[in-house]
Amino acid sequence: MQIYLPIAEVSVNLILLLGLGTFIGFLSGMFGVGGGFLMTPLLIFIGIPPAVAVPTVANQVVASSASGAIAHWRRKTIDLKMGWLLLAGGAAGSVAGVQLFGLLRSLGQIDLIISLCYVGFLGVIGGLMFVESVTAILRKRRGGTVARRTAHRKRNWIDALPFKTRFPASGLYLSVIPPIVIGFFVGTLSAIMGVGGGFVMVPAMIYLLRMPTSVVVGTSLFQILFVTALTTFLQAAQNQTVDIVLALSLIVGGVVGAQLGARAGRRISAENLRAILAVMVVSVCLKLGWDLIATPSELFAIMPSGGAGS
Amino acid sequence: MTGLIPILALMLQATPAAAQEPEIMAALTQETVEIRSDFSGAELILFGAARGVEEGDDIVVVVRGPASDLRVMRKARTFGIWINRAPVRFEDVPGYYAVASTRPLSELGSFSALRRSGIGLDHLRLSAPDTETRETRFGVEVTVSAIGEEVAEYRAAIARTRRTEGLFAETAQGVEILDGGLFRAVVKLPPRTPIGDYVADVYLFRDGVAVASRSATLEVRKAGIERLIYDFAYENSILYGLTAVALALLFGWGAAAVFNRR
Repeated sequence: MQIYLPIAEVSVNLILLLGLGTFIGFLSGMFGVGGGFLMTPLLIFIGIPPAVAVPTVANQVVASSASGAIAHWRRKTIDLKMGWLLLAGGAAGSVAGVQLFGLLRSLGQIDLIISLCYVGFLGVIGGLMFVESVTAILRKRRGGTVARRTAHRKRNWIDALPFKTRFPASGLYLSVIPPIVIGFFVGTLSAIMGVGGGFVMVPAMIYLLRMPTSVVVGTSLFQILFVTALTTFLQAAQNQTVDIVLALSLIVGGVVGAQLGARAGRRISAENLRAILAVMVVSVCLKLGWDLIATPSELFAIMPSGGAGS
Repeated sequence: MTGLIPILALMLQATPAAAQEPEIMAALTQETVEIRSDFSGAELILFGAARGVEEGDDIVVVVRGPASDLRVMRKARTFGIWINRAPVRFEDVPGYYAVASTRPLSELGSFSALRRSGIGLDHLRLSAPDTETRETRFGVEVTVSAIGEEVAEYRAAIARTRRTEGLFAETAQGVEILDGGLFRAVVKLPPRTPIGDYVADVYLFRDGVAVASRSATLEVRKAGIERLIYDFAYENSILYGLTAVALALLFGWGAAAVFNRR
């Protein structure tokens, strides 16, 4: 059953789109990740132009992060003050990223930059995750206990930054600069890669800001919700690259998939889950990397002059 | 002296045609093609009739889609990865170009006649104005390309890519001659057919030159919900963006509400 996507201007199989949405939703429910970082490459693999895939996935992430953020809001596991600072940085980053996206598109280099960003990030994150989960599995097999990190906080360069303020919900006394910088970085990624950026923000919040894990996920979802909403709006208003039909197909599949995934996730151990996810992330990274290196079948790229399309 | 020309023209008009003047008529089965949600290409039939056809005459049908400017880049390996480089801008490249004829073009038309009307993928005008200069050489004004032979590779790339997408086509024997000077040709529109105005030119070739021609027009447009969404996205971008966000929020909230109930 073919469906014509009005903005992407390609005809794709609706069942395939719903299946893809369900599959990624399943993963995101199972692993607690947004899934944008897998969705965008997969859409590109099935023939959606990258310039449309990226902003449309940002639109889909709005929906998936909204349901998560609402749940955390009810449980009051959001550090609002931190969230607003991350959001301020994120908004600026999103605006900058959308400009950069438009500029790269007019230069004919957007596909390359998207691929490079993905190969870099997926390679690093997937690799680290794989090593970490395999170590954890091996340690568990040997019967050892997982070493708990002590809450002991060492002073580092972040403590030396000015404009300190108190974050009561996280129990931190910290400069406002790191959250704004992290937010900016994640906002830019959201515009260029069509991801929420949770996979960068969550580790940054835990290891750099040393926030308690109880508020990390809720706060990052809060920021992702607003930043991806802004990105979607800006991309639609400025570059006309958001495909509502595509986004809705992915959202509908994703909502169903997330429910199934959350149930399935309870039956598998956390280390095994992370190892499976790591293998998937690394495979997508390798496929994208291979496409960059392998001699293309067509040595010329043809695109509309003046920046429309990709 | 100036009075001679109108008199000559009158004389020409008055000269009775020895044989019947060749004349051609053509019509498409559809004047509009609508792209809807289930659009996966279309097939139209061009019907025509020729009068005064002699033995050995040929019919050529050329369908051109809306023209746009293209940027063509050559991929080059840099630090191990393939990067788009060396952009060349091509002006007014038809988004769709299909030629059908009764015989291979090289057999039925002279090089100059085909070139003049831009008939055939080898003769389609693909101009890259930024790389070209007009120069007078040996008293003849010619177009000189700054990148020389390379521009031919770029042109070939456009034709090759468009051909694989089904947007460019050339089919010898694509025109079928029926009885009594009637003929028909199939026009295939691929799924990625660009929207806009199309022109189908039908030529009657005799002794290597076109002796009669006729045009028919065709419009390809988005229709139904696809058209609404496309127009909405381009004409009310801000509202479209807000709608996209609102729909996503609605679905997210709905999912949270359903999930929370369990």
